[in-house]
Amino acid sequence: MFSWLSEERGSIAAVIIVTLLLCLVISIIIGLKQTSYRAKDEVFGDPERTLGGWYWTLTGISSILLLWFYFSWGMARAFFPETGNELCQAAKIDTAIAPITAALPINSRYFKSTTLTRRNLEQLEILEKKLPADVYDKAEQEKLLKIILQSKQIIEIFSNPKNQSSDSIRAFETIQDGFRELSKTLRFGYEGLIPHPEALTQPKWGTDLTEIPLLPTTPRGVLLDKTSQDAKLLTKIFLKTRNNSAAADALIKTTKEMINNIKKSNESSDFEEDILSKRSAYVKAVERIFRRLDDGTIFPPSALDNLSNSVNDFFLAIAETRGSLNIIDRILVPGDGVVKSKTQCTEQGSGRWLPKPTDVIATFVKLANPDIEGGGGYKGSTLLWWKWIQIADILAFFIPDSLIDLFPGDYGRHSETGVFQPNFKDKALALAQGDIYLGAVPMLDGHIWDSLFRVIVALGLGIGLGVPLGIYMGISRFFKSFFDPIIELYRPVPPLAWAPLILTIFGIQDDGKIFLLFMVAFAIMVISARTGASGTQLSKIRASHSLGASDRQILRYVILPNAMPEILTGIRISIGVCWGTLVAAEMLAGTTGIGFIENVARVVSNYELIWVTILIMGLLGLAFDILMRWAIVKTIPWRGKG
Amino acid sequence: MKKYLKNMVAASVSACTLGIGTIVSAADSVNVAFFLEWGTPNQISKVDKVYDDAMGVDVNWTDFSTGVQMTEAMLAGDIDIAYSQGLAPFVTAIQQGHPLKMVAVAMVYEANDCFIKNGLGIDSSNASELEGKTVAVPINTMADFAFKSYMNALNVDMSTMTIVDQAPPDGAKSLADGAVDMACIFGGNSSKEAGEVGTPIMTSQQKIDAGIGSFDVISVTEKFATENPDLLKTFLDITDEANAAWKATDAQLKKVAADAGMSVPDVKSQMAGMIFMSEQEQLDKYFGKNGIAASAAAALGTLFSDSSDGITIAKTIDGSFLD
Repeated sequence: MFSWLSEERGSIAAVIIVTLLLCLVISIIIGLKQTSYRAKDEVFGDPERTLGGWYWTLTGISSILLLWFYFSWGMARAFFPETGNELCQAAKIDTAIAPITAALPINSRYFKSTTLTRRNLEQLEILEKKLPADVYDKAEQEKLLKIILQSKQIIEIFSNPKNQSSDSIRAFETIQDGFRELSKTLRFGYEGLIPHPEALTQPKWGTDLTEIPLLPTTPRGVLLDKTSQDAKLLTKIFLKTRNNSAAADALIKTTKEMINNIKKSNESSDFEEDILSKRSAYVKAVERIFRRLDDGTIFPPSALDNLSNSVNDFFLAIAETRGSLNIIDRILVPGDGVVKSKTQCTEQGSGRWLPKPTDVIATFVKLANPDIEGGGGYKGSTLLWWKWIQIADILAFFIPDSLIDLFPGDYGRHSETGVFQPNFKDKALALAQGDIYLGAVPMLDGHIWDSLFRVIVALGLGIGLGVPLGIYMGISRFFKSFFDPIIELYRPVPPLAWAPLILTIFGIQDDGKIFLLFMVAFAIMVISARTGASGTQLSKIRASHSLGASDRQILRYVILPNAMPEILTGIRISIGVCWGTLVAAEMLAGTTGIGFIENVARVVSNYELIWVTILIMGLLGLAFDILMRWAIVKTIPWRGKG
Repeated sequence: MKKYLKNMVAASVSACTLGIGTIVSAADSVNVAFFLEWGTPNQISKVDKVYDDAMGVDVNWTDFSTGVQMTEAMLAGDIDIAYSQGLAPFVTAIQQGHPLKMVAVAMVYEANDCFIKNGLGIDSSNASELEGKTVAVPINTMADFAFKSYMNALNVDMSTMTIVDQAPPDGAKSLADGAVDMACIFGGNSSKEAGEVGTPIMTSQQKIDAGIGSFDVISVTEKFATENPDLLKTFLDITDEANAAWKATDAQLKKVAADAGMSVPDVKSQMAGMIFMSEQEQLDKYFGKNGIAASAAAALGTLFSDSSDGITIAKTIDGSFLD
């Protein structure tokens, strides 16, 4: 069933998007109506005004989800599931003819020949000026200058249309005609073309490791794919085309000889080391430019005009063939579109780092699958499941092994017959180490539980220790003066600053991570409890005092209820900050946990996984917060009315 | 209603213009990524602006701390050439289908070490005793690759171990504290620290015998390679010349140390373990048919992902710019 859902995630997304759009429109309409109803009898600044308003919540949620769908290309995939495949075929053409377009002023301002001429001439000029007169004698200097001059002449010859080799003229004509032919075929249309049956069996867009299926699945795609293959042949011819001419060849030959002569004289004669290095460095620089020229990639200024025109026309033909695809590409595919790499087609732009909502759900489902051997879970641990844990193990946690060492008697030894009969002390040790069976209890397990466990324990400790301390600091001079400097000193330190110490103090087990989170929660709880306690109105305390309340009663029935709103707000804040610190805490020594998943996913840039962990943390934080809001309403109805 | 319609049209038009965004790529500067605290001979050419002179364009160098960040920057279009990107981040990028290719090997060095805590009495001869122990490994890095290679070579069952994901400095600390029994480490300082309390599982000779090594690559964006093959070739030429001129003299070391932000002795010891191959050697050994580059990348790929196949990765390895 799940695989069917996964296969059809495009259509499911379409239904969701339509629903979201409806929700958005309806909620806005309801919202506007409600606002106009109430506009008259509401007072600005009245907290009552924030009550209710589910329709605006709906508007907010649906618009954020719609934005997510849009920027992750989820809309494009939902309504035009073939877009990815067709864009991939079009991208294939771009990749296939990239060497040709790079030579033409397409996506750039100049012909490649112009750029090369300019760059090489500039460098030759510089070399001419930098000629090291101190290490070369007069004759050699002249020779070198001649090499430079000849290099310039080579450029001149290449640039002169009269010298252009007939081979290259013919080759360009072939390529030109090839592009014309291709444009014609493109304009002829793709009716009647059928995708290869194998292409239709490919996994759909985004359902497999290969993001976008490579083989064309639509008639239009088939045409574009075929064009890309033909264009590749033209590129091959283009790459082989050289501007060889007799005049240039002769000059190239003599120049080469001259360079080699100087190189030889460098090697044969015994110069001092720094002179030699200067000499050879200069020759190398000259040779480098010469070698860039000798392969004849510079063409006369107008040699590529016709080719350029035919390629431009070819691009027009592609645009015509793409037709509706152009509009989808522009409107529904924000970013750089699909790029064909050597191995596959990938989404570039926001589609790359923002996975589609449905894909995130699919990844989540895969992670949540408790069947680890069946490919579920992450790094050998489930996301959230349960397991049997031995009661003996829990017991063993509380009994230190060293306690057993204090028992009278010795540990057993193996007998002469080679068997081991445990005595009382051995059995006790087994109990302390959890090696006996005492039954088992079900227990939650998995990455989410591990993270939750850490947060809950840390929070529990933070509340348990922080609240009493905070309240006493609010009412007792000793507590306030004694603890104030310590608390205030450590409180502003960001939790991450403790991280390097935690590892070496506590090691790699849970205690270190819990301690880090505890530090965060503790400070917040102390401050909030203290503020709550010290904010109690003196008149209330006096009143209860005069009615005969004992100190303990005043604390329990006056001060604590007064501090409760602050304490609960403190808990809400601590939960948020604890979640925030969790990723860092689990980075220290990661074995399990949501933060661990995110840290590993970050190393391999697995964006889907990163977003899943972000969402899990967000949702769990939200769940906690909702729980707290409910608790606040239930337990302290007097909040904000004191 | 008319007004709404007008707004809608305006909105869709602006969406269109956002989508078009013409890219003008004039290669009048080349952006190269490199690592700080990672001494290489070509830093001399970098400091002396040999690259700029030879390529005839401005060469901008940006330092990075991880290879993954280099990938990200290349995808974002800010970097054209990544010099000495680790093999691991490169392979991971290819597995994600990113348009990058490997054009040369930057340097070959000994595989990262896994240090076994002294006093456990475990070495390569009785490595199976590591089963059931705790190991600190920076997951999905070259150190992870080395760890898995060692365990495979020594026939140790990894599934019985508790593997803790720790950055090298943390791993070294945990090894010292005895929280883990073995720590796989990369980076000079962390290795030094771990070496104080632990012993590498394999000696240099054993590593060579078992065929365990690492190398960093020079990777480029496919766009840059197709559009500016001349610049790329010159870049590799200069790198080759710098490697050939490297004699580890004091003056050279000083220059590299200054650029790498390290002390001279540190650079010296770090670079002593690196081999910088000539272009010809690379072509012969690494980029030929069944070359080491492709096989190592494929082996790494399968270690990191079950669904990886070597053929795909091999397609992105291209030695044609070395000549």
